[in-house]
Amino acid sequence: MMNFFYTYQSLFDHILVNALLAMSQYVVLRAGVFSLGSAGFAALGAYCTAILITAQAWPPVAAIAAGTVLGTTASALLALPLARLRGVFQAVATLAFVQIVLSATQNWESLTHGALGINGIPHVAGTATLLGVVVVVVLLLVTMGRFGLGRAMDVIREDEMVAVSLGISVPYIQRFAFILSGALAGMAGGLHATSSYAITPNDYGFGLLVAALAMVVLGGRTSVWGALVGAVVLISLPELFRVFADYRNVVQGILLMTVIIYLPRGVADTLISMLRDRRLRHEVVPEKP
Amino acid sequence: MQQILNGIVVGSVYGLFSLGFTLLFGVNHIMNMAHGSVFMWGAFAGLYATSILELPIAVALIVGMVAGGLISVALDFFAFRPLRRRGAPEFSAIVSSIGADLILLALAQKVSNTAVMRFPFDAFPVVVLSIFGLRIQLLQMVIVALVVIMVFGLVFYLYRTSFGLQIRSVAYSEQTSRLLGINPGPINMQVFFISGALAGMAGVLIGLVFNSVHFAMGEPLLMRAFVIIILGGLGSIPGALIAGLVIGLVQTLSVAYISSGVSEAIVFLTLFVVIVFRPTGLFGQSTAAMRIQRT
Repeated sequence: MMNFFYTYQSLFDHILVNALLAMSQYVVLRAGVFSLGSAGFAALGAYCTAILITAQAWPPVAAIAAGTVLGTTASALLALPLARLRGVFQAVATLAFVQIVLSATQNWESLTHGALGINGIPHVAGTATLLGVVVVVVLLLVTMGRFGLGRAMDVIREDEMVAVSLGISVPYIQRFAFILSGALAGMAGGLHATSSYAITPNDYGFGLLVAALAMVVLGGRTSVWGALVGAVVLISLPELFRVFADYRNVVQGILLMTVIIYLPRGVADTLISMLRDRRLRHEVVPEKP
Repeated sequence: MQQILNGIVVGSVYGLFSLGFTLLFGVNHIMNMAHGSVFMWGAFAGLYATSILELPIAVALIVGMVAGGLISVALDFFAFRPLRRRGAPEFSAIVSSIGADLILLALAQKVSNTAVMRFPFDAFPVVVLSIFGLRIQLLQMVIVALVVIMVFGLVFYLYRTSFGLQIRSVAYSEQTSRLLGINPGPINMQVFFISGALAGMAGVLIGLVFNSVHFAMGEPLLMRAFVIIILGGLGSIPGALIAGLVIGLVQTLSVAYISSGVSEAIVFLTLFVVIVFRPTGLFGQSTAAMRIQRT
């Protein structure tokens, strides 16, 4: 058992970091904000953490906290103009944000070392730390989903008109979701930097954006479990099927297309609602004479 | 001056590419994230036609266009039609086209072995004319002429023929046009073909201008096309052309006089500012559809 664990430890770390990122994407999608900005916030968090540790010799915990704060601040600033836009335009605006961050990390060489990235970041975030963080975040999100905030998000996603007529403040909830997403992504970035020794600008480009989106779409975007399942499946799938390594993107693409076409609610959410239906049916049946 | 000329050439090809992109949005309200891959496959088809089949470049251009058009129709068939039938939100279309994009990209990487390919040296005769002290390549003149012809052809098709009338009515409302006896299926197929053919042509032309064809050439262009169609106003044909020229000029000039990294940043900052302060673009007119209806 322990052998198995050590063999796959780095894979496990990778899944945990990506799960955080997926949850950051999940929070905005649940509230009906079509943001693709998670990759950009993760880049900000990762670079902030890495630079503070390597150049300024900050203690890692403080540096990761600073990365999270930077992600939060950036998303808070971005949330103001974003609230005025609709669906596709939010997507394009956040896409532009990711590209701006990407070209900043590539070209601000005195700070980010350009395309070479930052090396020699101490490995401080071990599996236990990552697991702890993920568990705490999952608990937080589950709790949030159970109460009014989660319900309000669901209503906004399904029908904004209904939400407004119920007296839900749509801009307020959406801004909250977006800022939370920025904070989670910033933290995911900081943890990624401190668990992978080196970061380069291309770690946080279009590929990461697609991956974050794919994980949530695959798993489902109405419950936290969807994001988790998506991260586990999408990260471990290429490792399990090493034979098809060349066709990894093909498999990912086909998965995305079939899931969005045939299982639009995602694997985990469809399962959850199936189980719930079954339980309800069982509860109802005995009452019949 | 020389740089301005280069900018106009590159910009007109950008305009051509964005034209198909904006047409799709105007008619189907779809952001086709796989449009960059269609462009890249058009370039591949043109390249293979000249290098393996040894066809003349004019034929290769047509091969590229047809290939782009067919791939685009296939995209419609597999990625968009099932969603349209279900009346899925635009979010699903974006995700499904990202999936299609991944597939097309990975196949191209496999086919080309991740190599950068070049057109054969004599694919296009290198003739340099000098007019008023400017060095103009024959290729550059041909490209600008082709783009002008394509644009006029498209405008004629859309606004002067009955097919165009059908396309515009489907764009206005699919429901209403169905009541009037127009079948939206073939119309959508047509629009996808035109858009793909324009992308394929742009692919061959860009491949010729920079003389390099590789599997990742689509993504930067798609990003730029986002900037162009937002700047020009979504669904607007003249907007896409003008914005294409502007972006082409800005990019060439800033690469020549400042640096390539700064040029990227300038382009995307422009996009961000425009989308935040004037989401309808510089030439768009309808504001209601773009903003959230919230009071």
